[in-house]
Amino acid sequence: MADWLSSIAQKFYTAFIKADRWKLYVKGLGYTMEISAFAALLGIVLGTIVALMKLSHTRSGKPTVWAHIADIYIDIIRGTPSVLQLLIMWCVIMVSSKNGVLVSIITFGINSGAYVAEIIRSGILAVDKGQTEAGRAMGLSQAQTMAYIVLPQAFKNALPPIGNEFITLIKETAIVGYVGLSDLTRAANNISARTYEAFMPLFGAAVIYFVITKLLSVLLGKLERRMRRSDNR
Amino acid sequence: MITVKGLKKSFGNNEILKGIDYEIDKGEKIVIVGPSGAGKSTFLRCLNLLEEPTAGQIFLDGEEITDPKANINKVRQKMGMVFQHFNLFANLTVMENITLAPVKLKKMTKEQAHEKAVQLLKRVNLLDKADAYPASLSGGQQQRIAIVRALAMNPEVMLFDEPTSALDPEMVGEVLEVMRELAEEGMTMIVVTHEMSFAKEVATKCLFIDQGIIMEENTPQNFFDHPQNPRLQDFLSKVL
Repeated sequence: MADWLSSIAQKFYTAFIKADRWKLYVKGLGYTMEISAFAALLGIVLGTIVALMKLSHTRSGKPTVWAHIADIYIDIIRGTPSVLQLLIMWCVIMVSSKNGVLVSIITFGINSGAYVAEIIRSGILAVDKGQTEAGRAMGLSQAQTMAYIVLPQAFKNALPPIGNEFITLIKETAIVGYVGLSDLTRAANNISARTYEAFMPLFGAAVIYFVITKLLSVLLGKLERRMRRSDNR
Repeated sequence: MITVKGLKKSFGNNEILKGIDYEIDKGEKIVIVGPSGAGKSTFLRCLNLLEEPTAGQIFLDGEEITDPKANINKVRQKMGMVFQHFNLFANLTVMENITLAPVKLKKMTKEQAHEKAVQLLKRVNLLDKADAYPASLSGGQQQRIAIVRALAMNPEVMLFDEPTSALDPEMVGEVLEVMRELAEEGMTMIVVTHEMSFAKEVATKCLFIDQGIIMEENTPQNFFDHPQNPRLQDFLSKVL
């Protein structure tokens, strides 16, 4: 028993403490969080714009050219692996950029935007048509009605799946090792290769991802409850 | 004040309005009755272009609002509308519901709009609900606030689309009371309703719309006591 415990302690020491290795995890987590946060922000902005594009129609109810562009964008992003999207961005489209973090943020922002667009679109469609009619009947423009009345309610509807998307996004960034970034996953992998000991670094990284995503889901739950204020009966 | 010429509206192949001509003067209270599906609500919704007419013209104060170049948002600011299902903005408090449009459309400053809202809420005895959200209010309260919200824009005419149809019977009275007061003050009103006693009491003219046309137009007295059109006679015998 004592042997076993001391071997665990030894492994822990090798994986996290020796040669200040914990700093590699912290630095890796820094990349993971930086990329996730900015990509999420970009995804929300892009997703909202694309959702509005996709819902745009002419007076006779036909989809506009913007709606078709949005459709194509969503189809392409959803239909290709994110690893490939990242590699295409890194090796082809933004090949002149040596900034892996920036390329990753843009790639994941564009990727997330496609999913967020569909989430927000369904959030908008879930808002009662009477809300729009009341706004328009008062003389508010289409844009004002959207901005002050429909979108706030749509975001509230969309918050749970958007939270889900953020959590997915954090985990998906684990592939940025492909563009030479030592994010949390790559850092753990590097350390296990260096120490010939996989258990501690890989499980350690998994626990860190779990704690981060759990924390995020708790925060989102709080936000959701606050936004439900207007539903209290 | 409002002139309607040859108004038609179809949804796909289904022609709901088959040519309506009518003229409404300032201060009139027009009550529209008729069987469901007859086109009453569609007619009302065409007046502020929530439904786009398929054919025909509508004039407000001499300006053709069905002209594609007309500024429809400006036109709507002159027409308040009250809906069957209230349609209060669910994400905003009562006060915000009332002040949103006047402030955003630059008709009033925030302070002026607030002051006006307080004054209107007092009138319908709901000032204590100013900070409540719509979902916490009863149907009757919501509809009174919806009326106040429309009035806050100082409209020239008020359109009511079955304002009491979604209410519990005990709440109908409080809403009709507000509408009655409004009528007494001289507001021009166009009301689609099934409340026959309200029609009798308040209307200057009653319209019977069926099968997409105005079947009968008359003073409330003659409309209810001496209806000419056989379909109206039949309709009244069922609802009265």
